[in-house]
Formats: sequence, C-alpha cells, structure tokens
Amino acid sequence: MTETEKKLPLVQQVVSILWPSFLTAGAATILFFTAFDPQLIMEVSGYGEISRLGGYSMGFFLFWMLTSTSCALTCYFRKPCDELGKKNQ
Amino acid sequence: MKTSSKQPAEGGGEFYEKHKKVYPREVHGLFATLRVTGVLTLLGLYYLLPWLSWEGHQAVLFDLPARKFYIFTLTFWPQDFIYLAALLIISALALFFFTTLAGRLWCGYACPQTVWTEVFLWMERWFEGDRNKQIKLDNAPMAGGKFLRKSAKHTVWLLFSLWTGFTFVGYFTPITELGQAVLQFNTGPWETFWILFYGFATYGNAGWMREQVCIYMCPYARFQSAMFDKDTLLISYDEQRGEPRGSRKRSADPKNLGLGDCVDCTLCVQVCPTGIDIRDGLQYQCIGCAACVDVCNDVMGKMKYAPGLIRYTTENAMQGVPTRILRPRVTIYITLLCAITAALIYSMLIRLPLGLDVIRDRNALYRETNEGLIENIYILKIINMDKQAHEYHLTVSGLEGATLLLEKTDLLIDAGKVVTVPARIRIDPVHLKKIGYDVYFTLTAKDNSALHVRQKGRFIGPLNR
Repeated sequence: MTETEKKLPLVQQVVSILWPSFLTAGAATILFFTAFDPQLIMEVSGYGEISRLGGYSMGFFLFWMLTSTSCALTCYFRKPCDELGKKNQ
Repeated sequence: MKTSSKQPAEGGGEFYEKHKKVYPREVHGLFATLRVTGVLTLLGLYYLLPWLSWEGHQAVLFDLPARKFYIFTLTFWPQDFIYLAALLIISALALFFFTTLAGRLWCGYACPQTVWTEVFLWMERWFEGDRNKQIKLDNAPMAGGKFLRKSAKHTVWLLFSLWTGFTFVGYFTPITELGQAVLQFNTGPWETFWILFYGFATYGNAGWMREQVCIYMCPYARFQSAMFDKDTLLISYDEQRGEPRGSRKRSADPKNLGLGDCVDCTLCVQVCPTGIDIRDGLQYQCIGCAACVDVCNDVMGKMKYAPGLIRYTTENAMQGVPTRILRPRVTIYITLLCAITAALIYSMLIRLPLGLDVIRDRNALYRETNEGLIENIYILKIINMDKQAHEYHLTVSGLEGATLLLEKTDLLIDAGKVVTVPARIRIDPVHLKKIGYDVYFTLTAKDNSALHVRQKGRFIGPLNR
C-alpha cells in the first residue's frame, strides 16, 4: 500500500470499488434489458422457469460482479511496482 | 470555486483514518424550514405516489414483469427508451443550471441522501436528545438506559427503512398486491430480496454513512465545482467582518476590544452535517445546507449585530463586484434545457401508439420455392400501444412484382398487446436486377389511416443475376 493510499479512509477504499461498479452496473442493466427481454434469454438458454423480475435481478448482479471485478483489478494494478519490490527484499 | 484539499479528519500513522462521528446540532430558521418543507414534500411524494390509482391501474408503476412503464395517463414501452434518455439529459442539464445559478441547492435540499438523513436525525433526536446528550450517551458505558435508547432508535430506523424498501418495490410491482403479500409473509423471493436490499441501503446510508456518502461516494460532489463561477451563490463566512474572532460580553463593544463580529461560539461547526468549519473557507465537503447561516443569524440577533456574517453570497459580491445572473453559461444551459424539453414534449405529442419491428430470418439468406420463386422470410413484431384494439392492414413496397404472404391474415390486436407475425415475400427472379433490395413494410390501422408505421427490411436474392 502506498503512502497516499494508506491515508485513504477505509470507507473510501471500499466504496471506490463497490460504488462506481454499482452505478455502471445499473446503467448496463437498463441498456441491456431495454434491448433484450430477460424472459426470452432465459427461455432460449433453458431456464424458462425464472421470472422476469428474477432475470432483471440476476442480470444486475452479474453486471455488478463484472464491473466490481474490473474496479478491484484497477485498484490492484494501480499499486506502484517499486514498492512491491521493496517488500520482497 | 477553490476547494481546500483538507481531509475531513486528520489521521496519524494509522492504516486508515478513523471516522469521527458527526453530531449535527438541531437548527431552526428560514433555511431549516425550507429544508423541512422539501423533506416533507419529497418524502410525501415518494411514499404516497405508488398508492394512487389512475384509469384502473397504479398511477406510477414501472411494471418490469410486463415491460411497460405507467406514468399517469402515459404508457411507455421498451421502444420508448429514447424518452427516458431525454428525461435523464433534461435532469442533468437542470442540475447543471441550478448549480451554476445557486450552487449546491440539490445537495442541501433535495438529494435523497440529505432528505433521508434528515429524517433519520429526527428519529435519533426522539430517542437520544440533541447533540450534547448524544455525545454524552455515546461516551457512557453500555448500560440499561443507553441500551434501551439505542435499540429503540435502531428499531424505528429499521422499520422506517423496511417501509422505504417496500415502497421502492411498490414502484415495480403493484403495491396493493405487494402489501397483501407482505402482510401474509408471502412475497416472492426477488421482491423480498429487493425490499431488504433497499431497506438496508437506506438504513446504512442515512443511519450510518451520512456525510461520508457525500464526501466519498457522490460523483456530483466531485465535479460540481466545475459548474461554479464567480457569480454562483454559495455559503460563505464574511472573513473581513468576522475576524479577529473571539468571545466577548454581550454589552462589550467589539471595536474597543479589537474584535470582529464572530463571537467564536462554534455553533456553525456544531450544526454542520458534514462536520466542517465554514470559517476555513470554501470546502468541497460543504453541501450548502445553510444550517450554519440559520444558527449564526440567530447568534447575531442575540448579540444585536446585523445578520449575515455567514450568508448566501457570491464570490463577486464578496469582492464588491456586482453579481450578474444572466451569464453565457446560464444562457446556454437555459437554451439547451428549453430546446430538449420542447423536443421531448413535441415528440411525445406526435408519438404513434403503434410499433413495428422487422427481423429477417437469420437461418437462410433466401429460399427457392418449387415453382422457382425467390422467397425471404421475416418475423414481424407488431405492438399495439393504444388503449383500444385495432385491426391492421399490412402492405409491402419497394420491390416491383413482389407478393406478401402472411401466415396470419387476421391482424386484430388487442390494446397493449404484442403479436409476432411470420411473413414471407415471394418474387419471380426475373424481376431481380441486383442482389439486395430495401423493402418497406407499411402497417395501417383499418379504422384510422393516420395510424400507420413504415419499417425498412432487406430482401436478398441469388448472387448470379
């Protein structure tokens, strides 16, 4: 963890991953399901018993999982490499 | 707007700064009244709107299962997504416009975070008293009385949050049915989940996170300063008038003591919901709630000084330069706002309650029939968005000599229904001069010729022509 990151409050560290991904996942959900009907997707993929509300919810959480993964990876790769080297010595 | 980069709380060598709880002191005055009015109006709308009925359906219902949005007399379909986009653009522009004009009005009076936090603060005060009592209670060891007060507060918070979550879901599934289901503990799994999720978010954000949401999570708080100029209304401490600050007797003449008007009572710090000192200058943590204005005016009144030591003002006014209201950026925002609003209203007025989607069969480019005719297959999706049933007539144009074959000749579609119709276009290959043609499907209501839509499709024939 860098000096500047050490100063970041825990809330800020957590929300900088969960919150931007929440916002983008919400936008992605709206855009995606405007174009595609969840029930149609479910029927085509053989999960016909899942309701539309379930489809929307799962779609949202799948998007959130993806976007928060990329947020977390961004945070991870932002760590300066020279500090990683120091730790290993 | 210059913002200080000062962190809300200075940490030592800790891994992260420990969050210091902010205990906003209760405040009364003009702006507090305005905010309470805002809170009651907005929350009243939020909690009551889903219970309204309109023409036999819930007045405002975003019916996700049926993929239809009802807003009073209007019904929106997924095809109307463009209106939602326009509405979002209008909201964003309106936010920019008001920010340029009057600073963080949104944050101080209308943001859901502010509104719900305000209500949660009221509930906290019912059980724990005002600021000083709350601090004393938090410092006291957990004993009977404290435990009772705390658990009562959290119970009421949680109940209110659950009701909030229930109302939220009530915008997406009919609320009367949802209410019955809740009373019978019989809600569907996803509905239960979203009630709990939204309820938990309310409880967490308004009960625990509060100003941290504004400081760390809010994207608007980060970029709002870009909309500021020297004529933007902001809350500012009059340093020239107030300094040097210091306590004094009410009867003392500050000039003889060499003091400014600030009596350093720190009430402006105590009422601040984000825990900042407005006397340190503009800070991005300031949400413009004007609580410090109210409380300082109160103190100024008691001291028999003129009000407005902390006040709504502009950077220009503070420097003695006249403030302009109509600046280029304000004019640009108004123009854009009016243009997009007018375009939205116009397009909604001329909106046809009929939709047609043409999807080409993707399995084959074309088919040759036994008679040697070339055939293309299409799936037509017809949506009757009107409030009454219509019988439609379908024609095809753009390709000379083509015949249209419908599997379903009876195109009678009920109000609010979507019907999928397979269609074939057949043509003698002698008519085909090139590989592809644009063909136009025209759907007309038999009882109203003004009600028609035209959609383009693509006809593809053999390559060796």
